[in-house]
This record gives sequence, structure tokens and C-alpha cells, in this order.
Amino acid sequence: MDNAVKTALEGVGIDVQEALDRFMGNEALMMRFLTRFPQDLNFSALRKAVDAGDAAQAFTAAHTLKGVVGNLSIHSLFHPVSAMVEDLRRGDLSSASQQMGALEAQYLQVVSALEHLQ
Amino acid sequence: MKDTLRKTLLVVDDEEINCAILSNIFAPEYEILTASDGLEALDLIETHRNRLSAVLLDVIMPRLNGIQVLRTLRQQGLLNTIPVFLITADSEGTTMREAYDLGVMDIIFKPVVPYIVRRRVNSVVELFQARKQLSAEVVRQRDQLLLQTQKLAELSMGMVESLSTAIEFRSDESGEHVRRIHDITTYLLTNTPLGQGIPPDQIRLIGIGAITHDVGKISIPDAILNKPGRLTPEEFELMKSHTVKGAELLSKIPQMREHPAYSYAYDIALHHHERWDGKGYPEGLVGDQISIWSQIVSLADVYDALVSKRCYKDALAPKKAMEMILNGECGAFNPLLLDCFQTTEPVLRTFYHLNQEGGTPNG
Repeated sequence: MDNAVKTALEGVGIDVQEALDRFMGNEALMMRFLTRFPQDLNFSALRKAVDAGDAAQAFTAAHTLKGVVGNLSIHSLFHPVSAMVEDLRRGDLSSASQQMGALEAQYLQVVSALEHLQ
Repeated sequence: MKDTLRKTLLVVDDEEINCAILSNIFAPEYEILTASDGLEALDLIETHRNRLSAVLLDVIMPRLNGIQVLRTLRQQGLLNTIPVFLITADSEGTTMREAYDLGVMDIIFKPVVPYIVRRRVNSVVELFQARKQLSAEVVRQRDQLLLQTQKLAELSMGMVESLSTAIEFRSDESGEHVRRIHDITTYLLTNTPLGQGIPPDQIRLIGIGAITHDVGKISIPDAILNKPGRLTPEEFELMKSHTVKGAELLSKIPQMREHPAYSYAYDIALHHHERWDGKGYPEGLVGDQISIWSQIVSLADVYDALVSKRCYKDALAPKKAMEMILNGECGAFNPLLLDCFQTTEPVLRTFYHLNQEGGTPNG
């Protein structure tokens, strides 16, 4: 992998080496899922459900999003999303909603870095 | 054979990235099947149940979730033969508890760490394979043992028969004699009230016991055994000793003593010349003191001697032989035994016809 690319990904909180290990060193496979992340619908589904006050739907979206960012070792999103999953599991929509802004800012940074790869 | 060589793994997850990561980890060693929800998973398990090495199962999925899949597999009893691993993103208590209660093999957390998930899955798959091979081996060895036991039983039966036939040959009788005594005895026990209450396996053992009834004749000198004329009283006394000698001989062969037919063989060798009225030998037993099998062998022995040619006499017609027995010319017999004998004699007679034509009666 290009060092500049690696630096850019690490700059937005992606542990490239850990993700690569998870894909058993299969860089092409990892890159396929990384570059597809901006099209992943779970973040917008989460935001819509939180805005609509639908805790159950918000939980499902957050849970799936957690799985995806975990697999891709996007630590900058994994930790805030995990916290939100636990809030939503308890049905605590207001706490989740308070974190939404910070999460979105972080999300946009990651998406922007990934879109630059293409 | 092919199925056991190629290990197959089913990955169940609605998220493509999870399926991709797990498939990528196991693809070098396994043929990978994937399902994107619980219903699809159950379909695939149903189709491939005999060749699945393990199932990796997500929890939260559309249509049918992982816990529901586990419940169904448990109902079908499949969790004992196919190890199922729950792959979950959260360590929430109730789900894990329920999964373990249902019989899940292990729980692996997402995001997975490849070397850990590989080690845990492979260890269990190897364990299940070893267990399967071991139980197949146990079944194979058990079958082999049964076969050997059967062969041994046949061999020992053959030895007993050979010994008895060899002794019969000395007295110039055909080897068919022991065979016929066996056949008549088992026929009467199986097909008349005489055998009431005696199970088939015991009748089989009595048949073996009947074969050795005359082994004691090995101790009788040729001059007496094959004497064409009447025996002197001294000679007759010696001849009578073949009963006691026979029982003694059987009791001195350890392998015979341990044989399940031994008690019958001993009793028949000793008592097959006793008579219902107590005028037989060697013990002069009366009536029911003589076992029913010894009584039957006595009668069969007399009948066979009458209708066969011997060194001291010609063969009699079966009708004549039966008359002599019923008249009491050959000593007294149990009335019930005579009754059964009279009824079945037309069948017993055919054993001889069959033998002349080279067949073997009664199997």
C-alpha cells in the first residue's frame, strides 16, 4: 500500500494494519470494503431514526454500523458508535441524540478521506 | 469418503463484510457456504447436514435471528453433531446465557481477530472429527468381535462334531449317526410339547450336547465295540461304562467345561441309557429324574440303531422299528415321549431319505 494512502487513513482514525490482519493480508479485499464505506446506508438510517425518535430503528442501525466500522478498524467511529449502541439498547434516545453531532463530524471526515482514494 | 475429506463451513451473517471476512479466513481449509439470514441457514443445514464441519452464526439478522436458529437446531438434535459458534458484536448477558443454554459451542466476538477465531473453530472441528472417527472405529471393532465370536463358536462346534464322528467311525457307524441324533432331538424339542418352556437358544445347545452322547465309546476296546455277536455279561458291563466314561471325558476338557452346552452334553452322555422304569444304566434313574433331553436322545439313539445297519444286525424298516419301540422291546419310555415320537415319526423317517439323496435335514 502507498505510504501516503496509509497515512491519510491513519489520520482519520483507521488502524490500517489491524484491518489488514483481519482480512488476512488481502489488501484488495480490504480496500473494496473501505472504499464502499461512504455508500453504506447505516449512518443515514441512524441519523433519521434518532431525528424521528425511533429508538428501536436507531438501535438496529447503530448496531450494524458498529459491526462495519469495527471490521474496518475505524476506531474514530467505533468508540462513539459503541457508546451509542449501549444508550439505545437501554432506550436512552436523548443521550444518543446528544452524541449525534460529534459522531456526524467524525463520520464526514472519514468519508471524505475514503472518497479521496477513488 | 469425499465428504469427510473436504471440510465444509457455513457462515451465516446478513452483513456482507462479515461473511467476506470469515470466508476469507477459512477458505484455505474449508469449502465455504454462506447464508444471509436464519431461514436460509436452516435450509442449507438441512441439505448439507452430513458434511458440515461447523456453523458460524450471527445473532441479529432479518427473518430469523441466530437464537431462533439455535432453538430449531437444538430441537432437531443437530447441536450434538455440528458445532455452532455464535458470532456477536456485543457481550450482552442474556443472549450469551441463552445461547450457551441452548448448546452453542462457543461465542466469538466481532470484530473478529483471525488467528483467535481460526484456532477456536479448528480445535472444535478436529475434536468432533476425532470423536466421529472413534465411534466409527468402535462400531467396526464391535462388528469384528461379533464375527470372530461367531467363527469361534462354529469352530468349537466343528471340533465337537469331528471328535464325535471320529469315535462313531471306530464302531463302524457312519458319521451320519451323530448328525441324525442331533436333528431328531432338536426336531422333537422344537415341534412337539416336549420342548415346552425351552427357549430356541437352549434347544440349539441341547442339540450340541446330543452330538457328544457316545464320546465315552473311545474307552471301549475294538473287540467289544465291533463284536458281531452277543456280548458276554462281562463285556456288556464294560460296554455300559461308556456313559460314565463319556461324562468324565467331557468334564476333563476345560474348553468343553466352559462351553454353554456343557451341562447338557454331560447330562446326555451320562444318562442316554437310562429308562423310564428305572431299568436303565448307569444310575437307574426313574421317570422325571431323567431330563427330557436325555430321554429324547435315548429314544433317538434306539430308533437310529434299529433303522441303520450295524455290525451285529441289518437295518429294519422304520415301521418295524416303531412297533418295537412302542411295544417296549427296547425298554420303557415316557408315555408322552412315545406319543410325540409316534406323531412325528413320518417326518423323522424323511431325515434318512434325504440323507441318502445327499441332502441335510433340518438345516
